[in-house]
Amino acid sequence: MFENIPILSILLVLPFIGALIAFMLNSNPKMSKIVALVFSGIPLALASLMMFDMVQQGYDFSTFSYNESYIWIEQLGISFTLGVDGISAPMVWLTTLSVFLAILFSWDVEKRTASYMALMLILEVGVLGVFMALDYFMFYVFWEIVLIPMFFLIAIWGGPRRDYASIKFFIYTHVASLFMLLGIFALYFEAAGDLGYYTFDMAAIATVSGDFAIMFQTLVFGLLFFGFIVKMPMVPFHTWLPDAHVEAPTAGSVLLAGLLLKMGSYGIIRIAMPTLPGAWDIDAGALTNSWFPGMTNWQIIMVILGVLSMLYGAVMCIAQKDIKKMVAYSSISHMGGVLLAFATFTEIGLAAGVFMMFAHGLITAVLFMMAGVIQHKTGTRMIPRLGGLAAKMPKASVFIMIGFMASLGLPGLVGFIAEFGIFTATYNAFGWLLLVPIISVALTAAYYIWAMQRVLFGPVTKDIDLEHLHDVSWYETAPLAAFVGFIVLFGLWPALILDFIVPAVGKILVGVF
Amino acid sequence: MVDTESLVAVLPELLLVMFAIVIPAIGLGTKDSRILGFTALAGIALAAVGPALQILEDRNAVFFPSDTGLLVLDQFSALFMLIFLSVAFYVVLASIYFTKDDKHQPEYYTLILLATAGMMVVASATDLFVLFVGIELTSLSSYALVAFRKKDVKGAEAATKYFIIGGLSSGFALFGISLIFGVTGTTDFTLMNEWLIANPYPNDLVPVVWLAMIMIVVGFGFKIAMVPFHMWAPDVYEGAPTTITAMLAAGSKKMGFVALFKLFFIGLIAIKADWEFLIAIMAILTMTVGNLMALNQTNIKRMLAYSSIAQAGYILIAIPVATDYALAGGIFQILTHAFMKGGAFIVVATLATVAVGESINSYKGLGKRSPFLALAMTIFLFSLAGIPPLAGFASKFFLFWAPIQAATDTGADWLIWLSVAGIINSAISLFYYVRIVKYMYVEKGESEDKLVISKTMMAAVAICLILTVVIGIYPGPFYDACWNAAQALLSYSVPLP
Repeated sequence: MFENIPILSILLVLPFIGALIAFMLNSNPKMSKIVALVFSGIPLALASLMMFDMVQQGYDFSTFSYNESYIWIEQLGISFTLGVDGISAPMVWLTTLSVFLAILFSWDVEKRTASYMALMLILEVGVLGVFMALDYFMFYVFWEIVLIPMFFLIAIWGGPRRDYASIKFFIYTHVASLFMLLGIFALYFEAAGDLGYYTFDMAAIATVSGDFAIMFQTLVFGLLFFGFIVKMPMVPFHTWLPDAHVEAPTAGSVLLAGLLLKMGSYGIIRIAMPTLPGAWDIDAGALTNSWFPGMTNWQIIMVILGVLSMLYGAVMCIAQKDIKKMVAYSSISHMGGVLLAFATFTEIGLAAGVFMMFAHGLITAVLFMMAGVIQHKTGTRMIPRLGGLAAKMPKASVFIMIGFMASLGLPGLVGFIAEFGIFTATYNAFGWLLLVPIISVALTAAYYIWAMQRVLFGPVTKDIDLEHLHDVSWYETAPLAAFVGFIVLFGLWPALILDFIVPAVGKILVGVF
Repeated sequence: MVDTESLVAVLPELLLVMFAIVIPAIGLGTKDSRILGFTALAGIALAAVGPALQILEDRNAVFFPSDTGLLVLDQFSALFMLIFLSVAFYVVLASIYFTKDDKHQPEYYTLILLATAGMMVVASATDLFVLFVGIELTSLSSYALVAFRKKDVKGAEAATKYFIIGGLSSGFALFGISLIFGVTGTTDFTLMNEWLIANPYPNDLVPVVWLAMIMIVVGFGFKIAMVPFHMWAPDVYEGAPTTITAMLAAGSKKMGFVALFKLFFIGLIAIKADWEFLIAIMAILTMTVGNLMALNQTNIKRMLAYSSIAQAGYILIAIPVATDYALAGGIFQILTHAFMKGGAFIVVATLATVAVGESINSYKGLGKRSPFLALAMTIFLFSLAGIPPLAGFASKFFLFWAPIQAATDTGADWLIWLSVAGIINSAISLFYYVRIVKYMYVEKGESEDKLVISKTMMAAVAICLILTVVIGIYPGPFYDACWNAAQALLSYSVPLP
């Protein structure tokens, strides 16, 4: 269907054009919303078509399809190279879906609507660029572009402590990405020595990087890894996330948790792992640790950080009074699961990790939207001040329940498949050590059910202003229903997405880009 | 013997000087700043034709005079002429409204043109004395420009300070130049290098060469506000009329770099081992001190001044690395800095005309009061911080790339620390740049009134804005020009035996 059409460039350019148009419609907020909806809707349609096309044409998901490459800066070997494979295609689709629904959900934004819509679309450009880039320079550029709209979304439309939160977010992630940049430089020059020419092309660098000195690979892996886990974020570099989420506007939170965090884990599986097998693969000669025979140093660090984040995030959730902060910490916990899954370095582990990224994107969107709805309708997000919402907001309560259940891993919903895969892989790789991370499942169930009980059931509290309390509006119902629909669909039929992911992760393990 | 063909090399300077003389004559008839300003703009545009053709058609170098060659028009000098002329262009454009109520307008434009002519002489000089004459022409004109509003106490103080420091530093530089002349018997950069190669260590004159080198570094160090010779810059930048501040930061400071490039890349390249560590340490000190001092400034002009010092530190990286990539990166950073920093100062100047003060508190709520200026300022600041896809990112990328390239190429691993220092400093700098952005968009200002801005000033901001974005998105051709400039400069340096 897309043989002669640069579909990936179109996906990038459309939201950008939309952003320009929306930005200019400063005097006509209604029109800017429609423009934003249209210019995020077309990419969604295109991305969906592209997914179907990939299946229909029988493309090999372990190689890149729809490749495009244009020379950008010749002197340094920088080119504008795009492509999607089985790992990035689902993320691209998730991005277009989340942005479209987040824009719909923001229908009631009244403050500087045009700028808001433009920033959402710019954010889409950045995230899509990260997921489609096959050139380190481009990857870095898009990675950094994402910061700017998010910074403004938090800084302008955020809550009371937004200036603190926005600056913290900006500086944390920018500093981390500078480390990543150093890592990229190191790779680039080392590869140029072997290739005989300068190039930022990921695939070209990956053809020689596997033979670099083990120590070099280990160090560079560390630089890249640091840039990625701050974005994910993993304990102890997570502190920007709760602040950013609490202050961000609802749609901003949806995109922050649903897409931006995935950029970190995507970087690990797309760049760090296949490019530098010498850092984690025993067969490639990675350094092992004498205390944990059979495990490489980076593997141990990844396991520890992953498990720590899972448990710490879950424990913090129990302590939270603010429903949104709770969801934010649950994101840390679930992203910890992704890192743990990656740390197994097995096919099932990587597939489960990528599927968790996808699933978490859907689930967390529902949860943050519901936190926004509750804040909007009742005037508070504080769990102790809420109660009895089930009677007053039946539709909303159903969404909350499904969201919570999906997040804690109820069978039949998308979260279950992901968690099940992660724990299976963990058991396969580490045996009874599984008992430690699996505690987080119990904790997760505890905090969600406890929160549900306090918020939805019981008597209606005095703090809730009943006169203004009404159920979700149409522009809130539609995106929520769409997300919930996909949560159920992919929960019952995970093969729809796993068929993309599984063929693609195998190559990572053998160090093929 | 001066033949007519070689006049092409000095035509741009001659045109500027001619217009500088004509403008006061026009000033006798009219006091309208628009007529004077647009005359100056015409002069600048005319002067830019030669250098622009030189680059676009990739012409051969032209020497003036053709036999001895004191001045040269080649890819290097043409690029810098264009940078200086475009700085002069937007400064004059902004000044038309900025100084419309001031006295002595014809002199103001004359001085700007003369200062620019001086910078261009520096760009094309192949001889240390000619270079010095160019520097002095620029310096003397800019002392007067800083003091242009003579009733302004801060401006008068700044001018006095600038004059004393400038005179002192010129003295240092001149002393160094005369020592070099005494030792090597020449002031021509290429011959100087040849002498140094022909007289290798050890020889009795080494201490004198070192003394001369240190004198010149101190002298030019003042001009580019290199730490520890930077103290004057914030005061002068704050006190000067803001359009002139833009010219000082984007133009005359870069002239100091041209001088340093010529001196170190051609004249003293033979004794590179003697100065590379010194300059490397200076570079790291300069960027670190500049960034740290900028962190808690409350006056936007002072903050931008310290940020200029930090940027000078980045550009200095090019000198100890001393490869063609590094020089091209340094030139590229100068090019982008001319537009992003100049643009930021022009925004400050524009805001001053509508009674928005220089304290950063008065920038609160600017996003609502003037969306265009706030957006422009945001882009300039993000570009200065090195956020992609803006010009500042591209140039920093090229610049920080160079030391690692040199380290992997030559095995001088210590050069990597220059990149690391630059990257860490970029992270620090983010804090004070973003703070301004936050003030403009997040915080509520005391006033909510919309600002009405003059069209010409808006045009000046727009020029810088467009270039900052375009260079960032498509740096290829611009880097090409910088690369050719670097090659042109290095073609004068004699390869080491």
